[in-house]
Amino acid sequence: MMNREVNDITIEIDGKRVTVPEDTAILDAARRAGVYVPSLCSSDLVEPYGACRLCLVEVDDGSRTRLVTSCNFPVRKPLKVSTSSDRVKRNRKTVLEMMLARWPEVPLVKDLAGAEGLTGARYVHPNVDLNPNACVLCGLCVRICEQGIWEKIVNFSGRGVDRSIRMPYDSLQPHCVGCGACAEICPTGAIEMVDDPNRPYDAEMIRKAGMRITREMIKYDEQQCDMRGVGTAHLVEVMDAYDLLPVENYRFGRHEDTLKIESRVFREKYFSPGKPDGCWLGCTMSCAKAIEGYELKTGPYKGRKVLVDGPEYETVAGASNMGIFDPDFVVEYNFYCDTYGLDTISFSTLTAFVMECYKAGILDEEKTEGLKIPFGASDAAMELLHLIAQGRGFGRVAGKGIRYMKKYFVEHFGADPDFLQDIGMEAKGMEYSEYVTKESLAQQGGYGIALKGAQHDEAWLIFMDMVNKQIPTFEDKAEALHYFPMWRTWFGLCGLCKLPWNDIEPPDNAETDEPAKVPEHVKGYCEFFEGMTGEPQTMDSLVRMSEKVYNFQRVFNLRMGFGTRKHDVIPYRSMGPVTVEEYESRKERYDSQLEEQVGLDPRNMSTGEKLAALRKFREGQYEKLLDAVYKRRGWTDNGVPTVEKLSDLGVDFPEVMELVRKHGG
Amino acid sequence: MIRVNGEPLSWHPGKTVEDVIREKNYRFPLLIVRINGRLVPREDYGKTEIPDGAEVDVIHLMSGG
Repeated sequence: MMNREVNDITIEIDGKRVTVPEDTAILDAARRAGVYVPSLCSSDLVEPYGACRLCLVEVDDGSRTRLVTSCNFPVRKPLKVSTSSDRVKRNRKTVLEMMLARWPEVPLVKDLAGAEGLTGARYVHPNVDLNPNACVLCGLCVRICEQGIWEKIVNFSGRGVDRSIRMPYDSLQPHCVGCGACAEICPTGAIEMVDDPNRPYDAEMIRKAGMRITREMIKYDEQQCDMRGVGTAHLVEVMDAYDLLPVENYRFGRHEDTLKIESRVFREKYFSPGKPDGCWLGCTMSCAKAIEGYELKTGPYKGRKVLVDGPEYETVAGASNMGIFDPDFVVEYNFYCDTYGLDTISFSTLTAFVMECYKAGILDEEKTEGLKIPFGASDAAMELLHLIAQGRGFGRVAGKGIRYMKKYFVEHFGADPDFLQDIGMEAKGMEYSEYVTKESLAQQGGYGIALKGAQHDEAWLIFMDMVNKQIPTFEDKAEALHYFPMWRTWFGLCGLCKLPWNDIEPPDNAETDEPAKVPEHVKGYCEFFEGMTGEPQTMDSLVRMSEKVYNFQRVFNLRMGFGTRKHDVIPYRSMGPVTVEEYESRKERYDSQLEEQVGLDPRNMSTGEKLAALRKFREGQYEKLLDAVYKRRGWTDNGVPTVEKLSDLGVDFPEVMELVRKHGG
Repeated sequence: MIRVNGEPLSWHPGKTVEDVIREKNYRFPLLIVRINGRLVPREDYGKTEIPDGAEVDVIHLMSGG
């Protein structure tokens, strides 16, 4: 985002005074002042180009008067502008006559010419085109493809009178996904979408819904999440500001060195500018980034210059979770995790656990077979990553994950199983993703009840719960833990990305009844589904699709030996402070909670007593949350879907019913 | 004194929405602000003064994976 001070400047357009920020184009200033200026090649979605010359105006800056194209002339000092002086009208008329000579049947050209009193041209253009949908060479399609979609599928070809819009070699380009942005922006209908390989029921409906997202991305992303600029990495500094960025195995939520790994650093020093590494062609969000020419410092490819997928939030936050604030390390471990086929989240969370065990004396150099690995040890973390991939040394143990390590450390090193359960950040055997959840009960449930294990992708409720205080009761939290997991499951069912749902916001989202659900975007997803299948949908019908699958998945978990209440247990580190050091670091917060929420006077208590009292309270809250969520979802107190619920959803296959009955469902 | 998301915050004459966002270190970009239930457009944060005793909601939407 821009930090430069922008001055306001007042100009006069046809006698009307209007004040605009410095560098506003005269055409935009005129529109703001309610003064009409004809234009054919301008759009708020692309950079101005000055191609059609229709927006000519006469500008008097006090020293001289001249004609300029208003779409790309920036206001930098007070001006007097005339949009309809004799000189302007004469030149505009000449331009329109030339257009009319070449494209006499295009309605838009005829209308613009008619407004200037022209009904025909006095000459005939050698390449006259009588098609009413003729291309008028405005270049809008070329610019939206390059600037909006970050592709170059259509472009100008030829010179002078032979200039035209073409695809390379006049053939359909395989990397054109048919997003339709060029056809949508074309002012004459010269571009028609003809190839729909998936044979959707209503391609137009899909394209219109997609174009609404494209429009929002182009116009609002830079001021909102800047997904096109830095991707999800923008959340690093945001999470730090809210005490939510995991630091040293989730002990803390912020660190003074976060600025060394915030998104600005990757944008300025690492990301290749203008080269997104999008998941699929034509995605206008393109949140994945590319880092080119990074020279590896370790491992089998040491010394080689490589291309690295730009780090996402989770990968950067994984580094802070290991107490490491070195951007080179982030790029290096990201590359090797990708290369080895390892997940950066699991690796960083399990390494943070190893580091805390090292700090607590559960591990030492002998037990790690020579690894000196306290928090912040980036060289040791990289060595562990290589050892895991090679299946050698301590990597053989660590690579099996936190659940395995907890058992191994108890059996082989005599570690305290209760302490390891408290600090080993996994649920259902999967490592936690990178958010501190201590102050959001709803998010604790979001991690604990998630079917696949400790992942936030079913529900991310921290802001709603902890910051906004929008879901204060257990019932409120349970409702959120019903709706959002079902809604997000639907993306998985359809193979759609969820980021265009809530990482960009329509300008009027704030005025809707439920902005957190982004209703306009839900409507768009309904249209994607209907456009593909021909079946109209609503928010409720999409959620119901998910509910069938979600409940079936829960039963599947049950069949595999999971899927009951005891498997929704979470480590206490995700509920509250485990150690005295953690408590003392946020003493004021915890003391006031003891006083206000638990009804105790912390002044007469030792830190150990306060830790125990807070723990008893928070664990009780979590149990109450499970009760409320199970009830809302139509499950038993043990977290098993009931026979009634499964019958209602049409998931009442005999084998399913037999299994849930056995578990009291 | 005003209340922001239900929590008390000191007030002074001329305190704007932008002041509150800065003071609370609300760095997240997707915010919706209401003063006593009335929506404040994003472009007006710097010039909208908050009256004493107001209930201010600074609703954070969601973002990320």
